[in-house]
Amino acid sequence: MKFTYTNKSCLVLGAGAAVLASTLLWSTPLIASDYSFSGESNTIFRMRTSITDKTISPAYEYLRLTMTDKLSNGSGVAFHLGAWGRADLGDKPDDHGTNGNLQYAYLTYQAAKNNSVFTIGRQFISEGVAAERIDGVYLRNDFKYGIGVSAFAGSSVTTEALANPKYQGGDLIYGSRISQSDKQMYSIGLSALKSESTTTRNYREEEGLDLWLRPHQQVDINGRSTYNSITNGWMENSYAISYAPTSTLSLGADFSHVNFKDYLFNVTTPALSVNNPLWSYNNKQTAYGAGASYSASKNLTVAADYKFYRYDQSGDASYFGAKASYKLPDNLLAGGGIHRMNGDVDKLRYTEYRAFIAKKINQADLTLDAINVNYDKNINGISNSYVVTGAAGYEFNPKLKVRGDLQYSKSPDFDNEVRALVMATYTFDTKFAAEGGTKSEK
Amino acid sequence: MKNKIAIVSLLLLMTLLYACAGTTSLPRTHPELLSQSPNCTECHTDSWGALNHRAPDFMSKHRFYAASTRQTCNSCHHESFCTDCHANKEDIKPSDKFSDAPERSLPHRGDYMTQHRIDGKVNPVSCVKCHGRTNNVRCASCHK
Repeated sequence: MKFTYTNKSCLVLGAGAAVLASTLLWSTPLIASDYSFSGESNTIFRMRTSITDKTISPAYEYLRLTMTDKLSNGSGVAFHLGAWGRADLGDKPDDHGTNGNLQYAYLTYQAAKNNSVFTIGRQFISEGVAAERIDGVYLRNDFKYGIGVSAFAGSSVTTEALANPKYQGGDLIYGSRISQSDKQMYSIGLSALKSESTTTRNYREEEGLDLWLRPHQQVDINGRSTYNSITNGWMENSYAISYAPTSTLSLGADFSHVNFKDYLFNVTTPALSVNNPLWSYNNKQTAYGAGASYSASKNLTVAADYKFYRYDQSGDASYFGAKASYKLPDNLLAGGGIHRMNGDVDKLRYTEYRAFIAKKINQADLTLDAINVNYDKNINGISNSYVVTGAAGYEFNPKLKVRGDLQYSKSPDFDNEVRALVMATYTFDTKFAAEGGTKSEK
Repeated sequence: MKNKIAIVSLLLLMTLLYACAGTTSLPRTHPELLSQSPNCTECHTDSWGALNHRAPDFMSKHRFYAASTRQTCNSCHHESFCTDCHANKEDIKPSDKFSDAPERSLPHRGDYMTQHRIDGKVNPVSCVKCHGRTNNVRCASCHK
């Protein structure tokens, strides 16, 4: 059974999380020394004009909490929670005036041996063919001979429940991955997932092969092939190779091939479904490319890349360009690049330019970022689109930072658009460097 | 009967392999404090060196690492780091939230309202990875 999150329930969840965080924060002196409690609060105010000329000025609260308990035998238990809520202070961008989401909330146990992990709650599963957010359980374990096994089961989290059952994401999803690896040389995995809904037991059924080869210290090969057992076709074959002959030079190449009818099967977004008349059911997409990066000095890095795309209905296109960045640690960062998309059809012919600079002065930092795209053929009578963003921040202390930015843009949709954002970030952590390097919420 | 024997045999085999495994779990937190975008090859000569965040193709390949060794990511990153981009519902695009970090490879920088009409028509596959099954509220507000 799937629980649908309404704005009201999200607001209640967000308020609950805030109360829980406050309670835990104030009670931290009472917590035993093996516990640690950390978190981050981001309070955001935005202002922009909508495409229908409404003045949108929402306020957001993003809250992230982590509580860990390191047990004496080397194992550990942790609870992670992330949620956000929004209240509209000006015109409402939708019919609600409030919104929110429980992004994740799970309890996890990791044993001292065999990488045994058990997790329950709302979590993101990333295991072979599965890249799913579920409300459910996950477990994994290492066995002899480099064998690892993981499994998960639960309900897919969907946030926009549509009336058509085809786009509701299924009710039950479960899957598994078995891998065999040698930490020096390779890892190869076989995985599968299945999803069922109230109307069909075969909502999704996918299998995958993933591999990671490191035949030489300077060579790294990754890849994945996924198969759709319902449509009986390969969804995706995607492989990449990297070669770093020296510490300053890195070369890479990649290849991918996707079949639309298999890859876009039973997605929950109608616009991206194989049923969308924008593209043919049997469309395929092939892409391959290469890139190189060279660190000319400790501070300067230059890179170039090329990618060729073959679309069944839009013809061929080449995307290529170069970029450079210059960095003085804790002082200055500057960079820029130019890329060209050169395709058979008008919409695949444009040139992108970007330049940015960021400067740190004591506790303050300043950033300027400009992006411009020139279209070979005008869109809505406009030949280019640009966005210029200026940001300034000040770190009052290691726990509190306030930042504001102003964005000006001209595009085929907006003549002169100004957007503003102010964000206050407050971090709290009861135990710094308890286990060596602490993890931050960033 | 044969199925039951096969299942029991498999369970016995897995129990034996589990009992004999005896590996030490990855540390829940990386033992050394790391700066942003670490070059893992500075210390690691084995496969962990491949996770060098400064490699030019690390961003395009990080999905492979996450799908095969997520625990390694977890030793440095909290869930919130992944959720900054891989959200199941989000109002603010990552490049707007982190406009003070121009060096980060964040999706949809610049005027993506125009660009999405190009990407969406010629390459919907790139959209599906993040918006095909979740984080599609904004898609659905126009694309019913």
